[in-house]
Amino acid sequence: MIIEVLEVVFLFTTALIIAYLVRHYIFTLTVLRRVKKPKNVDSVADPKYEPTVSILIPARDEENVIGRLLQRMTELTYPQGKLQVIVIDDASSDATGQIAEEYSRSCECIEVLHRDKKAGGKGKASALNSGLEHSTGEIVLCFDADYYPQREIVEKLVKEFVAPAVGAVQGRPVVLNEAQNIVTRLVTLERIGGYRVDQEARDTLGLIPQFGGTVGGFRRSVLEKLGGFDETMLTEDTDLTFQVYLAGFKVRYVSDAECYEEAVDNWKAYWRQRTRWARGHMQVCFKHALRVLRSKKLNIKEKIDGLLLLHVYFMPVLTLIAFFAGVSLILSESSQLVNALWFFVPASFYSLVGNFAPFFEIGIGAYLDGRTRIQWLIPLLLFAYFYNILICTKALLDLFAAKMLRKSQSDWAKTRHLGNGNSYIGN
Amino acid sequence: MKFESSCIVLAFFLEVIVLCLITSFRFINIESTVTLLIFNLLFFSLTFQLNGSLNRKLGMLALGNIIGLFWNFFLYFFATAGAMFFGEIFNVLYAVFYPLLNFMWIVSFWSLSLSVLPNPKSVHEEVKR
Repeated sequence: MIIEVLEVVFLFTTALIIAYLVRHYIFTLTVLRRVKKPKNVDSVADPKYEPTVSILIPARDEENVIGRLLQRMTELTYPQGKLQVIVIDDASSDATGQIAEEYSRSCECIEVLHRDKKAGGKGKASALNSGLEHSTGEIVLCFDADYYPQREIVEKLVKEFVAPAVGAVQGRPVVLNEAQNIVTRLVTLERIGGYRVDQEARDTLGLIPQFGGTVGGFRRSVLEKLGGFDETMLTEDTDLTFQVYLAGFKVRYVSDAECYEEAVDNWKAYWRQRTRWARGHMQVCFKHALRVLRSKKLNIKEKIDGLLLLHVYFMPVLTLIAFFAGVSLILSESSQLVNALWFFVPASFYSLVGNFAPFFEIGIGAYLDGRTRIQWLIPLLLFAYFYNILICTKALLDLFAAKMLRKSQSDWAKTRHLGNGNSYIGN
Repeated sequence: MKFESSCIVLAFFLEVIVLCLITSFRFINIESTVTLLIFNLLFFSLTFQLNGSLNRKLGMLALGNIIGLFWNFFLYFFATAGAMFFGEIFNVLYAVFYPLLNFMWIVSFWSLSLSVLPNPKSVHEEVKR
């Protein structure tokens, strides 16, 4: 009886692993084909389309990085008269508010919204909602304080909104402090796999490109219709992605709208950040999985991709289960099928958590980016994956514990930015 | 003349690949042949679409097959010796860790081989020049 149960568990989990591997193999092939036969990207561009844009920058204790972002905001090529930059100083205990105030004095388009300790500190979604209330633009873009965008990023992002069906848009984050250490290099590989291949393939195939919470934005009317950012969600970005699709709109991914980010530079910060992402993503999965399945506004391709996307943070836990079930079955010499399928389980160990990008996808992404050496680090993904198994298992347990204890999830579990990326910016 | 020599090199690489597959099946085990086939499938379907001459790609593929063959050869002898020394438990360990140990060479070789192919950006620059 136990053997039969183990076999069912093993077959189910391995089938999921194979589904993800096939999905990402298709993504990789799609991007390779797209490189060979690029689409006419300017076909949707309308040079006369210049809507008013509000940029929201939620910031809590970001004195090391906020200055460079605001400096860049003053250098954007988008007409300043149509631009409104709102810094939401969310009860910062450092000089974030003062730095923002200095910039607002020198640049008319920059406004600062101070939230005191009573009103603020309730999470990024709450800060964004507060900024949204004060914003006036037809398009609302969001940037995290540690980001450093291209000067022409607003034009690149906004042009997609010409199409009325587009409800949200996402640009490409590129790691600024890649050369700092091994952690930042591995995060770079993750970003390459996730954006250069994964997001681009999803966009090309008409699936569900994901809004990542920064370097992107929304059509204001859509955001208002959806009720703004859900403050109960830890990953309000993933939540909004699905809300946008369930409301009948699309998210577009713009690969050439690059924005440079300061990646986490130590394993402790990586743990904290990924635990929050994993918890938030699982939260969104519980909220939207059934809605995606039942939705009449999503086609079958979008439903399959949406469900795989929603469950991606469960995969490390499931691969762990597959591993132990497989080992038990091999020990009990159960069947040849188990031996044959066993090969796929370690294949997943060379994948990235968050998008399940396998080693071949990351390698191709790095190559297409013109990288020559960073792909040599791909074998190290094995260790990152084992680390992520622990992260996702803890996140799942935390989520269950929070549900049982009815504990709020929506606090600022933010990453501390030390401004290590500043030295890589050459103005 | 140049065309002919290119064809000979191609035929040589193809022969090496086929020989590796036959050798693995005949002298090691079916699992090693399947491993090589999976590596060939991945390499052929993805890497062959990148920049670089066919000779270079096929050369890399042949080299990958040789490395894979030797890796599996050593693994097999290690497992056989281990089973004789430690008993049946070693065979079980071998069965459990065999795919993971094989992915070590596949992933490492894959990641290194991408650096050997011409970089798309430098190709683009060459075209511009």
